[in-house]
Amino acid sequence: MLRLIALCCGLLGGGPAVADLMAVRDQHILPGYAAFAAASKALEKTARDDCSPRSVLPVFHVAFDAWVSISHVQFGPVETRGASLSLAFWPDPKDRVGKALARLSHDQDAAVQTPDAFAQVSVAVQGFTALERLLTEPQGDPAYACRLTHAITRNIRRIADALTRDWNSAFGTAFVTAGAASNPTFPDSKDAERAVFTSLSTALEFLHDQRLGRPLGTFERPRPKRAEARRSDRSARHVILSLTVLKDLTNVFAHTPLGQVNAAFDAALARVAALDDPAFAGVSDPVRRLRIEALQHKVRELQIVVARDVGVALGINTGFNSLDGD
Amino acid sequence: MPSRRRMITTALAATVLPAPTWAAAGAPTHLAAARRPGGAHDLCGLRADGTLAFALPLPARGHAAAAHPDRAEAVAFARRPGTFAILLDCATGRIVRRMQAPEGRHFYGHGVFSRDGRTLFTTENDITSGDGRIGIWDAAAGYRRVGEIPSNGIGPHEIIRLPETDTLVIANGGIHTHPDSGRDKLNLETMRPNLTVLDVHGGVQDTAELPAALHMNSLRHIAAFHDGRVACAFQWQGDPYDSPSIAGLYTPGAGIALLDMPEVTLRGSRGYAGSVAVLGTHHMGITFPRGGRLLVADLASHAVKTLRRADACGIARAGQGGLATDGLGGVHRIDRHGFSLLARHRRSFDNHLIAIR
Repeated sequence: MLRLIALCCGLLGGGPAVADLMAVRDQHILPGYAAFAAASKALEKTARDDCSPRSVLPVFHVAFDAWVSISHVQFGPVETRGASLSLAFWPDPKDRVGKALARLSHDQDAAVQTPDAFAQVSVAVQGFTALERLLTEPQGDPAYACRLTHAITRNIRRIADALTRDWNSAFGTAFVTAGAASNPTFPDSKDAERAVFTSLSTALEFLHDQRLGRPLGTFERPRPKRAEARRSDRSARHVILSLTVLKDLTNVFAHTPLGQVNAAFDAALARVAALDDPAFAGVSDPVRRLRIEALQHKVRELQIVVARDVGVALGINTGFNSLDGD
Repeated sequence: MPSRRRMITTALAATVLPAPTWAAAGAPTHLAAARRPGGAHDLCGLRADGTLAFALPLPARGHAAAAHPDRAEAVAFARRPGTFAILLDCATGRIVRRMQAPEGRHFYGHGVFSRDGRTLFTTENDITSGDGRIGIWDAAAGYRRVGEIPSNGIGPHEIIRLPETDTLVIANGGIHTHPDSGRDKLNLETMRPNLTVLDVHGGVQDTAELPAALHMNSLRHIAAFHDGRVACAFQWQGDPYDSPSIAGLYTPGAGIALLDMPEVTLRGSRGYAGSVAVLGTHHMGITFPRGGRLLVADLASHAVKTLRRADACGIARAGQGGLATDGLGGVHRIDRHGFSLLARHRRSFDNHLIAIR
């Protein structure tokens, strides 16, 4: 590992490979949460004024885009508040979203009336995954669906506000002062860098294994209904958003030679842009499937160069045990 | 009570072979395999304060080790499906012996000494039949292979001793593998893991299984309380987003009960628990390296606490608490309140941390 770092520096003839936490917070994370908070505020307001799917769907897309574009940050407030699951409950192999929605509607559950009560219902119905169902599927009880739409959009806005607030106060400060004395959140200066890198590598793995791997299934048994957010035709869009934002994070974060990393991001982005298959329905078609498999392969190559040129180069590669198995 | 003959033999052995004790090896309390920055592997002795007592080179990546209760001897197992184990004199760093699995057998990576240190038990695969075996080695006579008994299941992984007894507990993972196909899992549809308790004569004292619907929850790692309860760590072989709890507790006579895991922790673990330890009288700790998390469960109050630590996997008891190691060289003190970093070493600690006594 040391040899590799020495090699990088030797080739560049410049300073050591460094990570920039201040830039990650100020140029990447805070703007991401601010955009999410603004979009979720508009979503809640729109749903309050007119809860019909026709009215809410356009802002739903904007807000969901904003969440997908910051959901890769998996540490800090999002973790302590368990927000990832409640904002988007997926993968969901047992259809817990559908079951919980049916139960709420059947019981005419009054939990939709107050934010605190709604925060206690199943996490499966608290966020975008359930909202997508309400907005794209026929509702047997439109009046209750409307109240549920209110409750979910209000919940999303409240979580977005809380995450933004936390990052703008104590947690954001702890993040950029990692390793300082009396910083229990990040006692070691490398801890915050590792948290960022883990978010990056975990998001790429999620892209490969879940967002692409789940609908692909196997050649004998493709699983198009397992595609993420397929009901609102957002599956490929999530891949594009995710690749775009992860590329940005990598460039803000790592002051290492990123030529091959950026080329690998661009190769994957070009593949997904050329797909013209928003919900990955093509996984069942032998020819179109090949193109999705090729995209997945590009993501795998991306994972490898990111591990090498970011993780190893910064001396923060994880996965000795987590990539092992026994 | 030891027989007169046995006491005499022990006394003679002690006179003839004055084997060094752990104190002579720098007084470690724990063992862990590790990878050094250059890529070489070693076996580390760690003290309770996180410092290194020794670091001895290993010929290949190790998995777990078994520590002799008195002598400074460790048996380091190759990763499965390895056919050899290395007997190390930890006081001198010398490889005393390369223990070869018998023809038709391979190791699964774990082993444990008898209470008196005279016998070593190892988990093994009968390659032809796929049946689990416990190999028996005479540690008082040059680690000679002296026999074997059935493990009472397929794919035995960790084997432990109940504290202060010679009762053995085996995690039969249930997964059939064959060296010809590496680590490929050959029987996921029909696998039936179990926990088996063997009495001092090698007879089955108890067997515990999860309900049939959870048969893909592979029991891999275990740790025993003084009262005979056994903390259980599983690896779910189905869809990781459809995983049941992968933390459990075996109670003698009452079988295995799964612990309620927080949803975020469970989904984050991706169905994979790495290691488990008993931390005092009523607490257990279990690591989920794929989620960078660790769960501490208070079995008296049923409270659970999730802690985060990237790539943490090794965990073992240490006094009324424990130690945990990670793949980034960290050694942490762990108790019911949380983590505190004791030391960071320039190496990646491997899956397991073993308490010497």
